[in-house]
Amino acid sequence: MKYFKKLEYYLATLITITLVNTFLGEQLNSTMLVSILIALTVTYKGFIVIDHFMELREANKNLRLLMRLYFVIFPSLIVISAFY
Amino acid sequence: MKTPFVSSSLGIFPKSWSEEYAGRIPGNIPIWVGILSELTEFGIFFVAYFIAKFYYPDIFSQGSQSLHTSLGVANTVILLTSSYFIAKAMSFIRVNNKIKCERYLWLTFSCGCIYLIIKTWEFNWNTLQGFSANTNEFFTVYYYMTFNHFIHVGWASCAILWVIFRLRRGAYSVQEHSGIEALAVYWHMIDLMWILIFPLVYVLR
Repeated sequence: MKYFKKLEYYLATLITITLVNTFLGEQLNSTMLVSILIALTVTYKGFIVIDHFMELREANKNLRLLMRLYFVIFPSLIVISAFY
Repeated sequence: MKTPFVSSSLGIFPKSWSEEYAGRIPGNIPIWVGILSELTEFGIFFVAYFIAKFYYPDIFSQGSQSLHTSLGVANTVILLTSSYFIAKAMSFIRVNNKIKCERYLWLTFSCGCIYLIIKTWEFNWNTLQGFSANTNEFFTVYYYMTFNHFIHVGWASCAILWVIFRLRRGAYSVQEHSGIEALAVYWHMIDLMWILIFPLVYVLR
């Protein structure tokens, strides 16, 4: 039963982050701050899906590393793009 | 419950990459070849996005403000929910509850359909506003990424129907459900790509 509750908790977290992120993106004027915030939350959201929905946490460590790396590299580019 | 190794190494990789050393591969090896290929494809789109944004920062800043953000948010919530539904379907096949597994697969399929309807509506809305892939560099990248993603959701939704058909025919059980798991990891990959696409085209200025 614990597993079921965990999934619901993660779904609620993911949706809340998405809504708050969008709201802040619309309201805040600082492109730098918004970019950093978005990059961090995209990484966090990616990690949640990879570990708990895809269940790679208890599975193949190489696949998990590759997937997590993807969600480090591209959010990093979001931060870099804020300096354009 | 620990699922037994369904697929074995192809015998062409180092021993440290094998399931015995690195851990179980969810689904099967072919689906991961597909997933890693898709990740590469979307990775190229993302790199193209950042290069284009470097050369046309103003166009990209205005472009995201021209889009219907609410529809993007709705699709994000729908895809996240669909990931939850397919994870639930996985958890039910593991306890041999095929009825609930099928129910959650139908819910995932419904989310896929709703996503496709909303996206079609959004494309139509863009057209009515006078936007197309030729409008400017932002919209070219936007259409390349989102239409490509749209196609992926479309065929993955068809794959859900196939898995439901196989489930009804008794192809999956507690011991052997790698087919459902392969679909689930593929569906999560599609969700993951949207998690990246959404802020790039709708939120970032």
